[in-house]
Amino acid sequence: MPTFTCNPELIEDFLADRLSEAQQIVFEQHLNTCDHCCAELQQRTADVTLWNDARSYLSSTDLAVRLLSDSTASLSETRSVSADADRLLNLDFLNPTDDPRMLGRFAGYEISGVIGCGGMGVVLKGFDASLNRYAAIKVLAPHYATSGAARQRFAREAQAAAAVVHDNVIAIHGVSEFNHLPYLIMPYVKGQSLQKRIDQHGPLSVAEILRIAMQTARGLAAAHDQGLVHRDIKPANILLPENVERVLITDFGLARAADDASLTRSGVIAGTPQYMSPEQAKGEGIDHRSDLFSLGSVMYTMATGHPPFRAETPYGILRRITDNAHRPVHELRSDLPPWLCSVIDRLLSKNASDRFRSADEVASLLEDCLAHVQHPSKVPLPSSLKPARQAMRHLRWPFAVAGILLTCAAIALFIVPGNQNEPDSSSSVAKEPKTVESAEQASDTTDRQDQLSPADDELQWNVDTDLDDLESTLQRLREETL
Amino acid sequence: MTSPETRTSLLLRIRDPEDRDAWDQFSDIYRPVICRVARLKGLQEADAEDLAQQVLLSVAGAIERWQPDDGRARFRTWLKRVIENAVLNALTRGLPNAACGGDAMDEFLHQRPAKTDPDSELLRTEYRRELFSRAAQQIRHEFSDDTWNAFWLTAVEGTDVDTAAQQLQRSRGSIYASRSRVMKRLKQKIEELNFEN
Repeated sequence: MPTFTCNPELIEDFLADRLSEAQQIVFEQHLNTCDHCCAELQQRTADVTLWNDARSYLSSTDLAVRLLSDSTASLSETRSVSADADRLLNLDFLNPTDDPRMLGRFAGYEISGVIGCGGMGVVLKGFDASLNRYAAIKVLAPHYATSGAARQRFAREAQAAAAVVHDNVIAIHGVSEFNHLPYLIMPYVKGQSLQKRIDQHGPLSVAEILRIAMQTARGLAAAHDQGLVHRDIKPANILLPENVERVLITDFGLARAADDASLTRSGVIAGTPQYMSPEQAKGEGIDHRSDLFSLGSVMYTMATGHPPFRAETPYGILRRITDNAHRPVHELRSDLPPWLCSVIDRLLSKNASDRFRSADEVASLLEDCLAHVQHPSKVPLPSSLKPARQAMRHLRWPFAVAGILLTCAAIALFIVPGNQNEPDSSSSVAKEPKTVESAEQASDTTDRQDQLSPADDELQWNVDTDLDDLESTLQRLREETL
Repeated sequence: MTSPETRTSLLLRIRDPEDRDAWDQFSDIYRPVICRVARLKGLQEADAEDLAQQVLLSVAGAIERWQPDDGRARFRTWLKRVIENAVLNALTRGLPNAACGGDAMDEFLHQRPAKTDPDSELLRTEYRRELFSRAAQQIRHEFSDDTWNAFWLTAVEGTDVDTAAQQLQRSRGSIYASRSRVMKRLKQKIEELNFEN
């Protein structure tokens, strides 16, 4: 089909919406083949600056997910969310008070200030006169409680969260509704979030990373024991109270209620996806191991000062989380011990079954690591740092000799008939390493066996000539271990 | 501490409904802008939101001192200047203690921060970002998914037209046409929302 020749007026007409549908089709067909008119159209639509600005400004906002998804993510909904947030910030839901120092009253509390405001609502500082103490009151934005199901869900999750009593999980004193707004009562804690700490001080020391991660894992373990998954572990949800070496996880169980509410409304993902697990990013079912991935992201952030997956848009972040490997921690921080990097790597496994089994396992491991870091000479590194090849490398030589000896001993145990009943601990070493030293020895065992390959075949082994040698080696080894 | 009613009651003193609208639009756009700039300057989210709220409250408090004199554009120009001064001063020197009134507040609102301040560049950038973002949100529903995606993929994400055409299973010509349609509308909307005019 022949296309018409270039007609600048047609571009003008197109931009002014003066073309009929048929004319538009013809116009588009012409554009298919005419680069000149395409360029002309682009230029007449807007100048270069505007095109450039549209690109740089729109790609760096959080709009991509919202606007790319579906036409259901319509304007009216996103606007009403911000209107809700505004309404909460206005604090016009508070009842009046006679105390001039207070902002108002809410559910029996005298409200003295606003602690914070997030996607889910506003957190107020309230004074409970009957108990003579301050509390933090989290009031949920009305759009989280529009449907009965979402309300029930919220109440159920919040009650489940309230049942988690642990030193590293912020307590929930009460869950209720006031003026049709659901709210939670939590203790008022003075301190800063891990996010703020990282923002202010940059990457943390090894001991601090271990301490904070260990306590976070402990808190997670307590909740996981009750079947509760946090779903939104991130530095902003980890609280560091002032003057104590303690870590508090906040917002337990609420992420789910939030997700439900916002997802059903508009297909929008609540909050930042930076710490999400791949299974979360894909919208698949998740279990407690999703929190372990997020914990890995938090550790990565503590180590490097930024989260492992970054992109200009939330959509881009999601894609990175599911498709790309994170940049290795040691490339960004060479002073970190390789075993710490490998713990983080394992937590950040894309496949949930490649991570650790439980938060409890992570907590114990990190506790042992912390003990090792604090007393390197007294406490050895825990053995369960399995993918520890890098960790081994620099520890290699002190154990090499022992490794050779053990290899010989192990072989001897197989072939020397007189030793078969010997209850020797070294025979288990080759199967399952129990300590870092033995893991090292085990890996050396394999190396040595490679070198000895002609000899490790029982059929070729000359028992008579080598027996004496082996027996003396074994003897020496026994004396050493005793 | 200013009471929650302050903003509304002060705004009632603005007689002209058009000025009230201007204020509403203004605070609506500037709240996220202030938050983002403050976050970029290292404040935590909650603190940034707090700062935005306080800056807007202090500006609202100053509105009563604005005298309508030379016509319509004045209020908007004045508002923009005052709010930018307040943000820049708050970021460099912190907020004055009294939430409204007094010489400190006057200085806070009116003293021009250094022109070379990189923060004013930052503020301008974030203002533009918010403007584009809002405009995009407001016009989104006017377009079908296909039309919108043609624009978004090529103009925003930088996908080349041929790839986008393949991905969306449409002709190159229709990708060009679609994205121009969206862009034209975006431009209009930005002009409508922009206070810089």
